[in-house]
Amino acid sequence: MRRLTYHEPESLKDAFALLEGHGETAKLLAGGTDLIIEIKQETKTPDHLISLRCIPELQDIDYSNGELCIGAMVTHRMIEQSKLIREKFSLLADAVDNLGSVQVRNVATIGGNICNGAPSADTAAPVVALGAKLVLDGPAGERQVNVEEFFQGPGKTALAAGEILRAIRIPTLPQGAGSCYIKHSRRKAMDLPLLGIAVIIVPDDNMVCQEARIALSLAGPIPFRAKKAEAFVTGKPLSREIWEQAAQVAVSESNPRTSFRTTADYRKKMICALIPRAAETALRRVNKAWMKG
Amino acid sequence: MAKVLEPQIKDGQLLKIGQRVPKLDAWDKVQGRTQYIHDVKLPRMLYGKILWSKYAHAKIVSIDTTKAEKLPGVRAVITGYNTPEIRVGFIKDNPVLKKDKVRQYRDEVAAVAADTAEIAAEAVKLIDVVYEELPGVFDPEEAMQEGAPLIHEEKGSNVLKLPWKMLCGDVEEGRKKADFIVEENYTLPFVTHCCLGTSGCIAQFHANGNLTVYSPTQIRYLAQKDFQDAMKALGLKGKRVQVIQTAIGGGFGSKLDTYPFEFITILLAHYTGRPVKLVYTREEEFFASPGRQPVRAKISQGCTKEGKLTFRDVDMILDNGAYTSWGATTPSVMMMPISSLYQVENIRYVAKCVHTNNIYSTAMRGYGNPQATFAIESQIDTLAEKAGIDPWEFRMLNRNKPGEITPQRFEIGSCGMEECLVAVKEKLQWDEKRGKGNGRGVGISSLIHVGGGARIYKSDGTGTILKLDDYGKVTVLTSASDMGQGSDTVLAQIVAEELGVEIEDVEVIMKDTNLEIWDAGAHASRSTFVGGNSALYAARKAKEEILEFAAGMLKEPKESLYLRDRMVYSRNNAEVSMALDKLLRAIHFRTNGRQVVVSEFYDPPTVMLDREMKGNFSAAYTYGVHGVEVEVDQETGHIKILKYVIAMDVGRALNPMAVEGQLEGGCAQGLGYSLMEELQLDKGKVLNGNFLDYKILTFPDMPNIESVIVETIDEKGPFGAKGIGEPPLVGSAPAIANAVWDALGIRIRDLPITPERIVAALEAKKGS
Ligand SMILES: Cc1cc2nc3c(=O)[nH]c(=O)nc-3n(C[C@H](O)[C@H](O)[C@H](O)COP(=O)(O)OP(=O)(O)OC[C@H]3O[C@@H](n4cnc5c(N)ncnc54)[C@H](O)[C@@H]3O)c2cc1C
Repeated sequence: MRRLTYHEPESLKDAFALLEGHGETAKLLAGGTDLIIEIKQETKTPDHLISLRCIPELQDIDYSNGELCIGAMVTHRMIEQSKLIREKFSLLADAVDNLGSVQVRNVATIGGNICNGAPSADTAAPVVALGAKLVLDGPAGERQVNVEEFFQGPGKTALAAGEILRAIRIPTLPQGAGSCYIKHSRRKAMDLPLLGIAVIIVPDDNMVCQEARIALSLAGPIPFRAKKAEAFVTGKPLSREIWEQAAQVAVSESNPRTSFRTTADYRKKMICALIPRAAETALRRVNKAWMKG
Repeated sequence: MAKVLEPQIKDGQLLKIGQRVPKLDAWDKVQGRTQYIHDVKLPRMLYGKILWSKYAHAKIVSIDTTKAEKLPGVRAVITGYNTPEIRVGFIKDNPVLKKDKVRQYRDEVAAVAADTAEIAAEAVKLIDVVYEELPGVFDPEEAMQEGAPLIHEEKGSNVLKLPWKMLCGDVEEGRKKADFIVEENYTLPFVTHCCLGTSGCIAQFHANGNLTVYSPTQIRYLAQKDFQDAMKALGLKGKRVQVIQTAIGGGFGSKLDTYPFEFITILLAHYTGRPVKLVYTREEEFFASPGRQPVRAKISQGCTKEGKLTFRDVDMILDNGAYTSWGATTPSVMMMPISSLYQVENIRYVAKCVHTNNIYSTAMRGYGNPQATFAIESQIDTLAEKAGIDPWEFRMLNRNKPGEITPQRFEIGSCGMEECLVAVKEKLQWDEKRGKGNGRGVGISSLIHVGGGARIYKSDGTGTILKLDDYGKVTVLTSASDMGQGSDTVLAQIVAEELGVEIEDVEVIMKDTNLEIWDAGAHASRSTFVGGNSALYAARKAKEEILEFAAGMLKEPKESLYLRDRMVYSRNNAEVSMALDKLLRAIHFRTNGRQVVVSEFYDPPTVMLDREMKGNFSAAYTYGVHGVEVEVDQETGHIKILKYVIAMDVGRALNPMAVEGQLEGGCAQGLGYSLMEELQLDKGKVLNGNFLDYKILTFPDMPNIESVIVETIDEKGPFGAKGIGEPPLVGSAPAIANAVWDALGIRIRDLPITPERIVAALEAKKGS
């Protein structure tokens, strides 16, 4: 019978000490909405749970010096209710709006979502598109990792033994940017995405694309930027046709898989269908008329 | 002889019938007071756990239980080799603990009783089973082929010796008469009940050898009989079995059979001499209690130029899985829509149930009807299209009518099909919305179901014992079952109406085979009709007795007296009245006094189906029509339900709120069946056995349901009511498929109607 010892350190220092003391037998616990399930299914079998709930420096959303800094323990509900995020980083608000249910969002954290490394994580594509940096802290000191390098494979991350994700640092988007994340799922709640699409666009006054970022999740083993598609739209007028063509390019960069949840073919079709829609919403959020011609 | 009850509507007005009475169990449930099997604890109770098969098809070479037996806290480890054989199921082909061979992942190989559930779970992992894998067969059509692996060697074939067949009129003649004929294939998936309360039971032996089983069963008395049969194997023949029904956390047909786990629990209790509780985990609930049979249907129908149906010809193959439950008899209910939905004289129906190494399935709400109606009603649209007739007009033309006798010899009494069709047409704005082909479309589907019990056994009765105490309170001991459908509430309303008391004065008890009379079970949408008539008749008997005495006491003719507002009154004399409780005390407290206690056993006036599968097996038939407007996203294949209307002829709505609850709940289940539910199996193994991957609708996914209640006041039903437990889920899928057709001109013939299927069909259409 599994016996778990629950620890509740009140500082990062104490958390590190516990991690070091218990080594492999310890797991960090945030909201537990991924971890507890894995423990019940016995795919993870820790003896010690180290809760991060009482460590003050992990709990806040901070916006200063042109940068958004989200503590690892910030819940999805806090993100959902942050006016600042909804205005300035709309795609991140999109990502949590339909994540699980209110009950799940009340406890589940963005840190847990990222550190779990699941291809289906709803915040993954948005943070990739946002070019976030992850602040990792550990016995060897603090380091910062680009989020794209953090995801290494399904369930695999760059997190080293004994390390804790402290915060997600997100640079402010350029002036006049619009963004959108589409979670493509079967149900309206309590469902994982079959595909995640994050789009950020910066148009100039003539509706020509100055910058575009397209990040996809579940279009391959890890979330990634569709760089060729981005390059394709950059410098072009932002019309529906251009986005449809860009979506085709994005498909060529993708490698989705067939599982019992859906087929690779359907996912590819959805990339085609939804990139233009995400772009459309992103542009609408820039608050300019679009696609007049 | 069965009694036909006249609805007795006295003094003009019904006071309790027709009221929107909140379900009596609601507060207990939302406050967590209800005792489910999960909550019940007995002194000295142990916990049981089953070791399931590791293969879909394999020989059992050996089972070594030594390590498990040595684990501290383990009290018994049983296998097929150290226990007497008990076989269960409709044709008793399912040994509760498998010996020699496993035939599905749902097979029970060994079981443990231990001091805690955790120890039991740990112990089963310590049991070493050596298997020798056998080739399996997972497709019923492959299983029918020569040389396919045999699931039960002794049966000689994978096709069950339950040849379902029905012939009416002359199908060849019907084909000749037809100006238009359509032939199509439809497939329906494996879906499961998704009861929020997982399966489980507690078995307890008493010092005298009698057995008590606590179980959330839908069939107290049939379960009692099954357990009684098993007592012989334990050398306890002649001992008594008592079944105590705990609150049912969802039934939907899953609990109208007995299963190996219940007998395993009994065995564990027998060998340990202690009460044993065995409750499924959610994962077990998904793979060890699945539901509706997957069906492949080939159907053709024909009609004249004018649109009159001339014949219906249906062949079906059902995946029975490895063993045979009551679910294998669902073709007998499929016959109902095939023979009696719309007027069609010439009918042929043949169905085969075929063993595979898939997990075996059970009965599920609708009992075959949703599968058959999907094929029939989708095809009504394709046929109407071919004949160039509006599908609504086509349905009106062929509709069933009150008083008709159908080819299967069902005596249709009340029938509100026309009213339902008219109501749905109007609410949907059929004429304005139909035929646009612009991604929005409307579709309808009719349905028929039994609404007056169904004589599946020799008796279709329900018993009631009713007593009045010295305070004017009524206790109703009924053998009916409530599993959330609201039987207790409706029975209380019926009794309160008849005895002129308040609903809160009536306590309905439905729980214990030692206390109540027999009942056939909560199936076939029969509890309100049969249980309701039983309660009504019992109440009427009690009323007679009370009024008889009152007449003497108050010196008024009995005929002039009536009960109302907890009083007895005289119609003749406004001066005369007496409080009911006072009257009851007067009956009791005197020499040779007594308390008023009556009993009634009501069995509807029906017959069993004969050898040709014909005969009036239900005392009433319920009709309904689903109507839906959809918008289909042509890129993603998502279906948005813009409007959902359901009109049901319920005879009389005893409690409109409860009727709406049934209609909405049925539609939620029907929408799940239509759009997303499917238990996915890979070589017999469930892939999506959890609520993330087995998708039922969540609240945000659920459209608003507009319910139209049509009342036809059935002459045989209690106060005119007919059963509506199952029917609301029957017509969803064809209505949606028909709406998708109207929206985009694509015909989806396989459930569920997933976005993938829509996108593929649109592509195929573009290609052609
Ligand atoms: C019903 C339900 C619905 C869900 N729906 C969705 C959905 O729609 N979309 C979606 O993306 N996810 C969904 N999830 C998954 C889950 O809720 C999210 O991934 C959530 O964000 C995980 O966060 P948590 O705080 O609960 O993490 P936990 O379970 O506590 O932790 C997850 C993993 O991350 C590690 N970890 C956590 N914090 C840190 C840290 N600061 N530093 C280092 N390691 C850390 C833990 O050790 C663990 O391995 C759902 C889960 C449930 C139960």
